[in-house]
Amino acid sequence: MGWDPISQCLEACSLMTRRILIIDDEDDIRQVAAMSLETVAGWDVMLANSGKQGIERASAEQPDAILLDVMMPEMDGPTTLLKLKASGVTSHIPVLLLTAKVQGPDQRRFAEMGVAATLFKPFDPLTLARQISAALGWKEGD
Amino acid sequence: MPPEKTVHTAASLPAEEQSQEQKMHSMISALWERSRHTVAERARLLESAGELWNDNRLDAATKLRAVDSAHKLAGVLGTFGLPRGTDLAREAEGLFGQSTPPGKAEIERLQVLLAELTRLIDRGPNPTV
Repeated sequence: MGWDPISQCLEACSLMTRRILIIDDEDDIRQVAAMSLETVAGWDVMLANSGKQGIERASAEQPDAILLDVMMPEMDGPTTLLKLKASGVTSHIPVLLLTAKVQGPDQRRFAEMGVAATLFKPFDPLTLARQISAALGWKEGD
Repeated sequence: MPPEKTVHTAASLPAEEQSQEQKMHSMISALWERSRHTVAERARLLESAGELWNDNRLDAATKLRAVDSAHKLAGVLGTFGLPRGTDLAREAEGLFGQSTPPGKAEIERLQVLLAELTRLIDRGPNPTV
């Protein structure tokens, strides 16, 4: 059997550590989510406490995905999402919204805005990484 | 009353995951200790707003802060292993968020649920820690 560049690439990609940006104004949520993703999945986690800071970090650090809170002061989640999607530097990064609201109209609106998935608070720290992986089609162990 | 648990039970998981779960629980307990002051402050804000509501003295800004605090509590308490706290906070968010003036029954319900919420937060997710 010869060298198969596609298989080699797939193998290398599967060994890469995922890099996740969490944007949430609540310190306790940021800390629990970061601890969960680092401990359970071994991912690298970056934090931002506002939409503005989140856009700056996403542009500079190009995470593999963004976990974005919906209700934030000044710039809320949907506004942050629109700005991320409008920028050529960040439009390709999948965004998952994190919300404590469960109403149907909101979910439809978020889907229309290009969100990859909506996750709900409160989340289970033991399964958060699995939920993100499932939503983004990442393989177990990625 | 037994302590409230998060979704998984250690007994249902393989040894490696049990150890990971135990590690997570102890880390979450440590984070709870750091966060409980903020959480308790939010609950106190709700109680104050409830008293003002009862006296028909709740202004729009305090009402908005109460909705926000209840929303934040609803989002975080279940993650810390207090799912009942999330339910109560969500109910409080709905009551404070309604546009019509509350009736007597709603104010009474709010007082009961806020008292339970405060007790839950005081006790924390694991009273043995």
